[in-house]
Amino acid sequence: MNDVSYSNDMVLLAVEACPNGMIMTDPNGTIVLVNAEVERLFGYTRAELLGSSIDMLVPPVIKAGHHEHRARFAAQPETRRMGAGRDLYGARKDGAQIPIEIGLNPIRTREGTMVLSSVVDISERKKVMQALAEQREELQRSNADLEQFAYVVSHDLREPLRMVATYSELLAERYENKLDDSADQYIHYVIDGAKRMQQLVRDLLAYSRIRSQAIVAEMIDAGAVVRIALDNLRVAIAESHAEVACDPLPSIRADESQLGQVFQNLIGNALKFRAERPPRIRIGAQPRNGKCEFHVEDNGIGLEKQYEERVFQMFQRLHERGRYEGNGIGLAIAKKIVERHGGRIWFESEVGKGTTFFFTMPSA
Amino acid sequence: MSSRTHILLVEDNPADADLARDTLMRSNANIDVSVAKDGIEALDFLHGDGSWSKPGRPTLIVLDLNLPRKDGRQVLAVLKSHDLLRQIPVVILSSSDSDKDITSCYQLGANCYITKPEDLTSYREILDSLQDFWLHKVKLPRRDGHSIASGIGYGM
Repeated sequence: MNDVSYSNDMVLLAVEACPNGMIMTDPNGTIVLVNAEVERLFGYTRAELLGSSIDMLVPPVIKAGHHEHRARFAAQPETRRMGAGRDLYGARKDGAQIPIEIGLNPIRTREGTMVLSSVVDISERKKVMQALAEQREELQRSNADLEQFAYVVSHDLREPLRMVATYSELLAERYENKLDDSADQYIHYVIDGAKRMQQLVRDLLAYSRIRSQAIVAEMIDAGAVVRIALDNLRVAIAESHAEVACDPLPSIRADESQLGQVFQNLIGNALKFRAERPPRIRIGAQPRNGKCEFHVEDNGIGLEKQYEERVFQMFQRLHERGRYEGNGIGLAIAKKIVERHGGRIWFESEVGKGTTFFFTMPSA
Repeated sequence: MSSRTHILLVEDNPADADLARDTLMRSNANIDVSVAKDGIEALDFLHGDGSWSKPGRPTLIVLDLNLPRKDGRQVLAVLKSHDLLRQIPVVILSSSDSDKDITSCYQLGANCYITKPEDLTSYREILDSLQDFWLHKVKLPRRDGHSIASGIGYGM
């Protein structure tokens, strides 16, 4: 056996054993070569295929157009990679249609341009993708349902809660010191509970409103947004004798009021969770992987890494009530806003030294 | 001829009506408050329909939005398209703070829109300033018609 026939044999064996279906057609569209996978895929025997037109493998509905496709390809033959985003189907002998991906390679020979088609059965992949798409849709729907539910509940709770809060205050005002001591105490428990619940409901509403509001993404000056946030926090800044420094910040594409809320919540937290020393807060930004990465750095009490998940969850507080105000909604809102903009939020911290919150936003 | 001021309060929730009336009367002895518990009652009183022999002419109308039978927006629309009734200032006092409600009320001709505060102190502040403004600071047109409204709604 000489070298040439040996390598020819190897090539034929390779084609035969290829896991893709391989079909070669001549310039007239007549099948001149198939491998084992093609027989399996389409359910025809090799004898039925060889010498027949490639049209026998094309579903009847697109058979008419297929001629044109072939003519166009023959006029301008070029390698076409598999699945250029088109849903293609092949026709089996039993009439069934199977989703396939096809790659085309022109091969120039003395007898004209032959076409080598490589065919892959993508039924399984399609099934998985469809299942994934359905799952995602289902998730989105149930998320939206939940948020709608949160919105409706928190909205409708406000009315009766207002009654409880105001009338318990009226009771306290009119009957304090006229009943016994425990009655006074009980009334104050009611007032306190109602007020806390009002705050929870307000927070829940604020949280669920983020989604119901459309993002108005425009090019905005992040520096101006921070200045507004600082202005809103001026009382807390003055009271805590905080020193706030802000590096020059870029313009980015984001929703102005939502970005302002993120900064306000992060800076507000830096002021709230301060150590004994006066707070020093530094705000800055740098480009990172095509996005803008902002940071808010403080010298406060710090945050243990183990709370990484919890701090961003709704109504999760790490400290006992009474020590720090608030319901633990600020970071949950910040996270939601950042994620709606396609960004990410995280922190680095050393207990006793301080915390730096980072978040990314699209640059443009 | 009485110089007393008369406020028509349109409010379906008795607890809210009591609260508003108590708060209004607490800071002003020279005031009558009558309560209509839905839109139909309010309009009957103002038109002099039903058990009324003469149309009622309050100094000020305080209107809730979510009411049974005829809701606040419908009442507002009727008031503001009526030649005489449109002269009476209408204050919307609602628990809703949605932009949609606020805009539609001003669109219909509401004279001002207030969201019900959630605690007693702010509630009193806002009702006091409301009274101070509409009953003392501003000049209102002269009224004809009766302005005593005992016997409507929850009464006194």
